[in-house]
Amino acid sequence: MISSLEPAVELVRVAKQYADVIAVDYIDLDVKRGEIFGLLGPNGSGKSTILKTILGLVKPDSGSVKVLGINVEDDPVGVKRRVGYVPESPRIYEFLTGLEFLDLTGDIYGMSPSEKKRRIDEYLDALELEGREGDMISSYSQGMKQKVAVISALMHRPELLLLDEPLNALDPRSARIVKDLLRELSLKGVTAIMSTHILEIAQAMCDRIGIMYEGRLLALGTMEELRARARMPGSDLEDIFLELTGTGDVRPVIEALLK
Amino acid sequence: MNWKNVLVLIKADVKSYRIVRGARFRRFRENKLVTFAMYIGAFLLGAAIGWLAGSFYNGTIDPQLTGLLLQGTINLFVSLPTLVLLYGVVFTQIGQIQRIGVKTSIQPLYWFPITWEERTLASVIANTLGFPSAVTIFIGTAIIIASVLIRLVPLALLTVFALLASLFMASATTELSRILQVKLSGAVTKAAGRAAIWVRFAGTILFLLIFYVVYFTVYQQANPLALFEAVAGGQRSVWFIPFVWPGVALSYFAFGVWLETAAFSLASIAFTYVLFLAAVQLNSRFGLYEPPAIRVSRGAYVPRAGLLGRLGFSSMEAGIMRKDFKAFTRRQELMYIFIFPVMFAIMPILSLARTGVEAPALQVAHLVLFAYLSMLPGTIMAMILGSMMIGLEGGSVWYIHSSPIAAKSLVKAKYSFSVLFSLAVTFVCSVVGGVIWTPSARMTLLCVVEAVFLIFSLSMVSISFGIKGADFRELPRPRMIRPRWSLINGGVGMLLALVIVSPLIPLAMKLFFESVGAPIVISLPLADAYLYAALPISAVIASAVLYMFYRIALKNAEEFLIKAEA
Repeated sequence: MISSLEPAVELVRVAKQYADVIAVDYIDLDVKRGEIFGLLGPNGSGKSTILKTILGLVKPDSGSVKVLGINVEDDPVGVKRRVGYVPESPRIYEFLTGLEFLDLTGDIYGMSPSEKKRRIDEYLDALELEGREGDMISSYSQGMKQKVAVISALMHRPELLLLDEPLNALDPRSARIVKDLLRELSLKGVTAIMSTHILEIAQAMCDRIGIMYEGRLLALGTMEELRARARMPGSDLEDIFLELTGTGDVRPVIEALLK
Repeated sequence: MNWKNVLVLIKADVKSYRIVRGARFRRFRENKLVTFAMYIGAFLLGAAIGWLAGSFYNGTIDPQLTGLLLQGTINLFVSLPTLVLLYGVVFTQIGQIQRIGVKTSIQPLYWFPITWEERTLASVIANTLGFPSAVTIFIGTAIIIASVLIRLVPLALLTVFALLASLFMASATTELSRILQVKLSGAVTKAAGRAAIWVRFAGTILFLLIFYVVYFTVYQQANPLALFEAVAGGQRSVWFIPFVWPGVALSYFAFGVWLETAAFSLASIAFTYVLFLAAVQLNSRFGLYEPPAIRVSRGAYVPRAGLLGRLGFSSMEAGIMRKDFKAFTRRQELMYIFIFPVMFAIMPILSLARTGVEAPALQVAHLVLFAYLSMLPGTIMAMILGSMMIGLEGGSVWYIHSSPIAAKSLVKAKYSFSVLFSLAVTFVCSVVGGVIWTPSARMTLLCVVEAVFLIFSLSMVSISFGIKGADFRELPRPRMIRPRWSLINGGVGMLLALVIVSPLIPLAMKLFFESVGAPIVISLPLADAYLYAALPISAVIASAVLYMFYRIALKNAEEFLIKAEA
């Protein structure tokens, strides 16, 4: 069992390269137990690769990854058993119904029938999927598919959540439920690492934020620490993000498009 | 009608169809010579055949033979439009069947400024491209070149126009049937409610089955000369069927009956236009039709313990197997696999019914057919299923990668599914074969036990190759396994199948030679007990293959589970 002092996730000098593209450039990162950690960055900055590396889906070229005290390379199945994962734009089996997919998830995580039923009923009710759970997923909207993927990640009560744009396509009420739920779970010691493009969400939800750019972790800390780092007291996350990534000057782009 | 739009749409359609068939494009613009190679080849071949035929005709001195040849040529010309219509329908339908499961969306076309007339015309023309067009080019070139030498140019020219009209009719008919099939399956889904999955499943299998049975009986087994004569002579008696009007017009032209020629020519053009208009109308009504959602279950959720749990599978393994079963009964591109065993059963029955074999050869034929039916469909099913079991995960493979599934459980679940399914096929085929051909108990035991050995071992062989060569791309069409690995699987599988059944080959040959009364005598050691010695040897070989490929499958699965980025 992991000690309360030991980080939930520990990345040491992790690097990953695809052909000529450096996806992750020697990153060190500790995420504490019960923390909600946000990964921010433009497209292709390496956020999803980091999440996949933590889960053992991507083997780093160098460095080590420890999750909940387990070295991912040594026991990937043991890690996956304790983690819930929502990929970006999840593709779920379209020939199953929402209910059948959640039933499969329960089976894969070895949940008892009674536990499975209780959790599925609770989540379907909370995320307003009741009434459509018996329909094939092929007929679901993108938001409904996202809800099914989120339930699938949460229903087996994982100790660590890896969420790649988890609020994508969710309606406001469901997004609110997921956000509040993550807060409550973090109070119970569940760690969450989420990547997002929506800076307001990161600002409102995350205890700490890491800003990624071209595979590097440019800045890491609480909102106050990031403001200090960017020397922008009182600024919001958007300004800090644009300043730190050096992508703030968008005027020439607009002018070129208007020509 | 904006012809530029039609041309652009045809190009897009052709390109997408070629991608569906596995072509890879490295450059945006293709080499024109490569694109048109098939048509150039058909043209050159047609010209050569036409020249040879014309020269042969001119070189014939016997006036009686010349007269016969001329009459035969006219008969051929007259029958060609109807024949082109028949193969046009078949091949454009095959083109549609090949697109089952294609996931590319054509919706963006609908917010471009394109009319339904342009869209439909492009679709109808694009459907004819490829094999149907190449055959038509071949025939057209051959008859024009030949007609110059035979001095039948006017008839040949009219025949070419009739061929083009028939091909267009065939493609327009396929277009109409495609739209109606989508609408009809949607209506059935809506009406069937919870039973929609099984109705859709049975409907798809039935459609494919009827199509292929007709295809095999008409095209593979008909005598072409008899077909020419039957069509040439028969189409005027069925003049009220609009599809034969081009051929009827030609036959009147050949006899110099000008009024009827003109009437049927105009009627052919009018009917072609009516077919096109009907397709446009249906497309504009149902072209953007979305089939209704299938509701599989209603009411409160009740988890089931399930039979698989009682058979010793863990909840994870049973869950994966249940999911795969649903995939095969609900995904149209996977339903295709169910027609293989049925086709395997139908083809020998058809051929036996046609060839009037007499006893005692009939008895031997029955034995061979029983062996074929009890052993082959199940074995082929095991090899195909095994190779597809991992690749069928498609774009949802992230779920397998991110779930706590051990390599052993994955291989066990996929292998067990493949074996159970193939055993079921063998059981059904053996019962059907047993009822039809009534083999002896010894023969039945021999074939069924060998089939079981083959299924248990070759399923594992195919699973191991299926993991190694899995192809998860779903665009434009799910392929499940990369072609190279599919070939390797087929080759190695067949070789191992021969090795497994090899101890029984001398016995099979001895039985065969004895039954047909051949003067070849094969003396086996142990004589009567040979069967009971050969079967265990076969079992040992099968077990060795199974064990060896289990180790390979396990290693491949371990690699697959940690290499999610590949």
